[in-house]
Amino acid sequence: MKTAISITDLNYSYPDGTKALDNVNIEIEQGEKIVIMGPNGAGKTTLFLHLNGVIRAEQDNVKIFGNNIGSMKTEDRIREVGVVFAEPDDQLFMSTVYDDIAFGPLNMGLSEEEVDRRVKKALATVGLEGFEDKVPHHMSFGQKKKAALAAVLSMEPRVLVLDEPTANLDPKSRADLIRVINDLNKNHGITTVIAMHDINALSELADRVYVLNRSIVAEGPTRDIFSDHVLVKENNLDAPDIFKFFKIMKCFGGDCDQTPMSIDESVKELTQAIEALEGKMSLHIHESTHEMVNDVISSYRH
Amino acid sequence: MKYPEIDKYAELDSLIHRFDPRAKIITFTILIFSFVFIEDIRIAFVSLLFSSFILLVSRIPFGFIFDRMKPGLIFVMPFLIVMPFALDGNVLYSYNGISISYDGLYYGSLVVIRAATSIMLTLIMLGTTKMDTTMKSLHSLKVPSPFVQTLMFSYRYIFVFIDEFFSMWTSMKAKGFKVKANKHSLSIIGNLVGMILVRSYERAERVYHSMASKGYTGESRTIVKFKMQTADYGLAAILIGTVLIFIIYGMSLS
Repeated sequence: MKTAISITDLNYSYPDGTKALDNVNIEIEQGEKIVIMGPNGAGKTTLFLHLNGVIRAEQDNVKIFGNNIGSMKTEDRIREVGVVFAEPDDQLFMSTVYDDIAFGPLNMGLSEEEVDRRVKKALATVGLEGFEDKVPHHMSFGQKKKAALAAVLSMEPRVLVLDEPTANLDPKSRADLIRVINDLNKNHGITTVIAMHDINALSELADRVYVLNRSIVAEGPTRDIFSDHVLVKENNLDAPDIFKFFKIMKCFGGDCDQTPMSIDESVKELTQAIEALEGKMSLHIHESTHEMVNDVISSYRH
Repeated sequence: MKYPEIDKYAELDSLIHRFDPRAKIITFTILIFSFVFIEDIRIAFVSLLFSSFILLVSRIPFGFIFDRMKPGLIFVMPFLIVMPFALDGNVLYSYNGISISYDGLYYGSLVVIRAATSIMLTLIMLGTTKMDTTMKSLHSLKVPSPFVQTLMFSYRYIFVFIDEFFSMWTSMKAKGFKVKANKHSLSIIGNLVGMILVRSYERAERVYHSMASKGYTGESRTIVKFKMQTADYGLAAILIGTVLIFIIYGMSLS
């Protein structure tokens, strides 16, 4: 498997001298789903601007598929990494949806026929067929989010970076967007790197998690990260509700092999655990149950 | 949200709507520049009637255009009020040393009629074409790219600023703010405007990052698919021909 993103000792300070990134090291394989979590102001957006070469690292320490992103030609770098920022109004800057989605491909120097094909394909991927002539101020927030994603997908990047893709979306739009991102990863082999605070969507969107707080504080599978409640608290994070619920259930004697991170996982884990107990799981209260429950709750409470 | 959309009626179907957008821009620009130089008030008035006829043909509601003409007319109205008192010439009426001159009234009216005609024609030109098409037409007419891009982004983000302004305004009202004619109100409104400026600056930076992420290097590339038809040449010839008749008639009068 190829290394898609390799960042070594990346440092960045804002013009006023404030350190935004401090010795950041990240290694992501092709086809992986990565979530980057961290408190507000942790440097996620600054990191993303390094990933597609908008901010050029002083040394050649950001490599995409082995090539230094800073020294790539504009057409090549936008072919490699596409960044979808958090606020869709910042990304839909043209007068119509069509022009916005065609913007990247036109800058890549593609023919009009190819641009047209890509615009239609990108719109179909996000489920916005027929929106070509729509103007952004006539669209809902969810539609604008999808259009902003389409405007990046039309460049057909190998790495897709998304900043808070599920923020402020209604549950249906959120589910749609998660489905699209997963489809791109699973069926098109696109490596996805996502910054988000939506912990309940985490298990669907992450193979691994990086915790960024100016520097990389921790890295690992989602379950390992959220099992470390000190790490979670210190970085203003929270564990998914279902994860905490099963931790509490364990205090009542309802133990599973692995603490599930999502509803789907919980069905699987519960079934396995109950089957192992010959079809019956009994929960009970013993003298230290309440103390254990309080410990679990307080370990994750801010 | 009620937006000041100039192209609200651009989806209608009329002779003016079907006019090739590039030919429309050139023809209407010629019309506007010709009409603002008319010296004779009668011809100026006929040109205003002619513009109203174009408006009628375009099927855009008169009320829609007049609403948008008002700010421009308010701006030129002082000419009509001041010039009759300020300009020397044949005295129409005099009272206690204050006199109204015929020449002042003539030129004041001429200024207002010319302004009304040019504003109306501009609004018809912009109102019968979708804004993005107008931008693409300017681009294909080789109007300098920085100018077209400035126009394009202004039009795109005016709606975002309106949303931001009203969300801040609502939030201020929710905290009990009422506009009064006092220093406090003025200072609060000043802060609001300042805040919008700061937010615009920050947004501009984020938009630029987003554009750079899509390979923007200063040039705006766009797909333009326009084709001039015989009818477009015909309509341009009729409109410019009419203007020529006005000019020639005006010259014969002077």
